[in-house]
Amino acid sequence: MQSPASEGAAPLIRISHLEKLFATRSGETVHALSDVSLEVADHEFISVVGPSGCGKTTLLRILAGLDVASSGSASISGQPLAGPRHDVGVVFQQATLLPWNNVLANVLLPLHLKGDKSEQSTQRARKLLSFMGLGDFAQKYPFELSGGMQQRVSICRALMRDPKILLMDEPFGALDAMTREMLNMELMRVWSEERKTVVFITHSIPEAVLLGDRVVVMSPRPGRISAVVPIDIPRPRSLRTMGLPRFGELCDQIRTMFGTEHHSAVSL
Amino acid sequence: MKARVNIAHRLQSLGVIVTVLLVWELSCRLVGISSLILPAPSAILVRFVDLILTGTIWPHLAATLTAVLSGFGLGVVAGLVSGAVISLVPAVERLVYPYVVALQTVPKIAIAPLFIIWFGYGVASKIVITALVCFFPVLVSVMAGFHSTDRDQLDMMKAFGATRMQILLRLRLPSALVLIFAGLEIAAVMAVIGAVVGEFVGAQQGLGYLITALNFSLDVPGVFAVLIFLSLIGISLHTIVRAGARRYVFWIRREQTPIVT
Repeated sequence: MQSPASEGAAPLIRISHLEKLFATRSGETVHALSDVSLEVADHEFISVVGPSGCGKTTLLRILAGLDVASSGSASISGQPLAGPRHDVGVVFQQATLLPWNNVLANVLLPLHLKGDKSEQSTQRARKLLSFMGLGDFAQKYPFELSGGMQQRVSICRALMRDPKILLMDEPFGALDAMTREMLNMELMRVWSEERKTVVFITHSIPEAVLLGDRVVVMSPRPGRISAVVPIDIPRPRSLRTMGLPRFGELCDQIRTMFGTEHHSAVSL
Repeated sequence: MKARVNIAHRLQSLGVIVTVLLVWELSCRLVGISSLILPAPSAILVRFVDLILTGTIWPHLAATLTAVLSGFGLGVVAGLVSGAVISLVPAVERLVYPYVVALQTVPKIAIAPLFIIWFGYGVASKIVITALVCFFPVLVSVMAGFHSTDRDQLDMMKAFGATRMQILLRLRLPSALVLIFAGLEIAAVMAVIGAVVGEFVGAQQGLGYLITALNFSLDVPGVFAVLIFLSLIGISLHTIVRAGARRYVFWIRREQTPIVT
């Protein structure tokens, strides 16, 4: 259903030959990203999987404008990345809600930071909260919510500025399996209704396959893209999708890539 | 349900103190411990009421309260301001921090005699000692507070385009409040210690002075009675700070408060 970036118009996100080197405290250099190139089309859902240390979080931080690449280039809508952007919403691994603000104020934060305290934005925040099933919780404080609900609030917050791109860094990694599946379904609903472009980082292969139009497989030392797997399972997908033979095949295919990568890493 | 459990817990702790007092009272009467060593609770209570009825206590209480409250106020304000300056100006922090740590290890109480020389026998020297004793816990808690900002929340603020000032006011300051209130709680308890030590070293008035005087005339029940007044001051100040903490850092549940007295 989704056309890969190579066809049609210019890609929304274009990353080419991205390198990122870190100096550790002991003076060693860590090659977090090595020659990473990727193009993401408008409305595309890209999952990024890889073991820890493969640079997937670094990649996301660069796209979020929180980190700067050592070399190579990254651009969004044709503009080179220079710091955080308005049209990018970020959901972190932790909900990172401000505990002293209630749910509504947390969702409104991105607009408050821009000095927008209008009634319309409050309306929109309330609408987003009901859309995520949190309509009755606007006045609650984060510590009164479960982990899953907190992460939903943080998704609402990311959607608040109506961004073109949603960057998600293992957003459901800290949640239990049931909550995680539920939020996967809700994320698909958000994605299909709001038509965002999503870069979704995870270490769960089934999650990556279930959600993604393409799955970017990364491997560590140095962090690089080892494969991009198009997911040809038709949408709409549901939890039942995970029972399809094709779903299993794709998961296996990706898992095998991990396996071989691990072996080569060990034999080195 | 929860309220009932709470009441049960309160009754239990009340039971503990009543039992302790009873055992204390009985052992004084039955074993015949000299009231010069350990007076019975009843004897202490009699002296406590006596101190109030004769009016002996008031000038001393007033002097100590003045020292505690003014010293606490001064020390806290100074601690907050210098803590904020040191934390928010990196250059100052780099230059000053080692000395702050070094100074903190000096037992402030040991300098008390010097303050008597510098500021006289009156209330001024007690205020200064109290302020100094309160200053350091507050200073350190402010610095620790500003360092306690959560990395992920910081990233979140940056990703949503917050300016440095917005990060300070909307994230770093509220985050710091948790530890700052912990520092205030310590300072509230230290304040009474500071004032009393000042009065021990040299004074014409105050509960510390009264203790030395009563001790000198072997009025041990009287000493204990004054201790009750001192505890009341400490508990009241601590309760006020706690109430402030519950109001301003309400998101930290009481049990989680990182404190300490």
